[in-house]
Amino acid sequence: MPPSRRSGQGNAWGVAYGVGAATLMLAAALYGMRRRTMRIAIRMGLGTARSWLYLHIYGGSLFLVLMLMHSGFRLPRGTTTGWLWGLSLWTVASGLLGLALQQWIPRVLGSALSVEVLYERIPELVDEVRAKAESCVASCSEPVKRLYAARLAPTFEGPRRRWIYFADVTGGIQSHLKDLHYLKGLTSAEEQEKLTELAALYEAKLELDAHYTLQLPLRCWLYSHVPLSLVLVAFLVLHVFAVLYY
Amino acid sequence: MSPAIKGKKGTFSRLRLPVARGYSFPASRNPLLWVGALLVSVVMSFILYDIGLRGGGALSNGPLSSSHAVLESDCGSCHSEGKTMAASCSGCHEKFGDELGVYTLAAHYVYRSQDLQRVHIEDAEPDCMDCHVEHEGREAPLTRVAELECVGCHEFASFNSGHPQFEPLANGQPERGGLAFAHIQHIREVMKIEELTDVEQSCLYCHRPRPDGTSFEPLDFEAHCDSCHLTTAGATPFLPVAAAGVTGVSTLSTIQLEGRPGTEWALFTNPNEFRQRGPRVMKTPLHHEDPWVMENLRRLRGLLYEDLGLTDLLRTTPDVAPHQIRVLYEEAIAALEAQALGLRSRPEPEVQQDLERITELLAALSRKLEDPYADLDETRFLLDLQRRAGLADETVTATEEVIDALTEACRKCHSIEKAGIRRVETDQRVLRRAHFDHRAHILQVRCLECHNQIPIGDLAGGQEAIDKSVDNSAILNLAGIETCQQCHNPKLTSDRCVTCHYFHPNKSQRSNLLLYVDTE
Repeated sequence: MPPSRRSGQGNAWGVAYGVGAATLMLAAALYGMRRRTMRIAIRMGLGTARSWLYLHIYGGSLFLVLMLMHSGFRLPRGTTTGWLWGLSLWTVASGLLGLALQQWIPRVLGSALSVEVLYERIPELVDEVRAKAESCVASCSEPVKRLYAARLAPTFEGPRRRWIYFADVTGGIQSHLKDLHYLKGLTSAEEQEKLTELAALYEAKLELDAHYTLQLPLRCWLYSHVPLSLVLVAFLVLHVFAVLYY
Repeated sequence: MSPAIKGKKGTFSRLRLPVARGYSFPASRNPLLWVGALLVSVVMSFILYDIGLRGGGALSNGPLSSSHAVLESDCGSCHSEGKTMAASCSGCHEKFGDELGVYTLAAHYVYRSQDLQRVHIEDAEPDCMDCHVEHEGREAPLTRVAELECVGCHEFASFNSGHPQFEPLANGQPERGGLAFAHIQHIREVMKIEELTDVEQSCLYCHRPRPDGTSFEPLDFEAHCDSCHLTTAGATPFLPVAAAGVTGVSTLSTIQLEGRPGTEWALFTNPNEFRQRGPRVMKTPLHHEDPWVMENLRRLRGLLYEDLGLTDLLRTTPDVAPHQIRVLYEEAIAALEAQALGLRSRPEPEVQQDLERITELLAALSRKLEDPYADLDETRFLLDLQRRAGLADETVTATEEVIDALTEACRKCHSIEKAGIRRVETDQRVLRRAHFDHRAHILQVRCLECHNQIPIGDLAGGQEAIDKSVDNSAILNLAGIETCQQCHNPKLTSDRCVTCHYFHPNKSQRSNLLLYVDTE
């Protein structure tokens, strides 16, 4: 009697898929541990960070394929298995989302913006830019001061996130500078220099806002990936226990 | 970085923004782990609560089917340590220590063929769950087995791809009807007598559906043939009476005087049914399975052949299909019981000795029949009858002439083989390996659309004589599997294996309910 040929849980092939999926999931999970024990890993020669990252990405993706084969491409009906199935999808999807973000955002930020900053320093740098802008405006004529107070000051108040940066990393800066350029044509040569500096500061502030907006997902996606992947490992342990015990 | 210096660290960009005064440590990732640990704690707490207070249903792979729903909260009833799942299934489904088992692979091999030689004990026993997947929800059909489970062993892809021809039609096997019967001729007669206009109604005149409508009652002479055949006008020709040096038949009085086992009928037979003219005798009227004809045929068979064995207990020749050998045993037992019944009231010592031998044989045959695993030995019936040695040709010719004359009325419908009447296949269910339900089909197609090898529909309305090769007694009267494939294909209706075939034997066919009762 040949083994059952249905792909699923109840036969040798199904069990093999399950064991393969569990092994790959644990191997992918080791990447997090490898990051936390970097010195030890380097000392022990456990491979480069790049190879571990590749294992994490490709192993994690293959895990999902094997998991689906293990479940026979059907929605499980049990509580544990349902969570296991859903969390597997979520974890791999959030991991792939993170991979996409890490490929896209740094490239956009590096190519289109003139300023590179650490996310944690942005508030401090915004304060610095605002101080420079206020200092610059202080010695300007009244029309410039009014323009600053009405149009620019709210922008300089602090770092702001705007959805526009996901579509246009410059945040439509040219339209924002239109008023300054108009005013430049009506003022003295000395004031024109100040307006140029003010425009540069305004541009820098918008770039800081772009960093402030786009660097956030790079940090936050981990919250959608790591905690639930720990829960996934817990459900895997429960599943293996249930299979072996029952 | 700009070369300009501000404070100790300097500035960057053309706006001279200050460089960080110290190393900017990236944000700690510990919160990720704390959130994860919190979620894991919640999950584990729920699971522990579930195991402790709710029976651990959360670890189940899904709800049980409605048949097993009562076991939902008792995982251990199926999943218990040191016990395979198949054993757990057997615990309820096979409560009778059945050696062969109803649900075993061996039973699957045997139940249709009744051939114990097909059991291969070296084959690994498949688990029940290989085919019947549980934990698939209340409404999940446990008996709906995937095709892949069948084609794993049976080497064809599907009903429409490589399925072998029906066994009765395969390899040019001869029809086992055993009757010289002209379908069209009989339909013409029935339509005329019963004043029927629909040909298919006349089919149902003889082929009477069983109550469940799946198949038809066995054909029966009294019910279907008696009104026209062997009426009071039926008679044998005058036959020579057996005497010293004369081959012939035994008269009623001779049979009565001899009083051999199984001839009690002679005591109750009307002597007026016989006419004697000198050394010749005739009988009229003749009855179906007329005991006087059958007894004389048996005696004449004994003159030609030696060592008839158990064949002598049968009414007809023992040529049955392998799966029907049981019928031979049943017929022999019935004959022996009748013989024993007739002998019990007779005190003669030699008769009592006969009775003892009959009783022993009866017990042996009954034991064999009651044992579902017994390999029924058909060779005890299917003897290759050998002519008696030293029999003169004249004697053989004379005996065969008497047999021909004696069975003249029989041979209108029956054929004679080795001085015996050839067995008639009255139960006409020929698709043994599959379940065919006539009732399920008759609403879609008419009888003659499938049973079309004898051109009944075309010729039943005419009067012309029809060649016997066309108008015959073929039971199946079906073109073949192609007829079924016209409808049973992926485009029209189900062509799954389990539509027609069952893996497991029908329990009702091989054991009684008492076997299911737990006597402990």
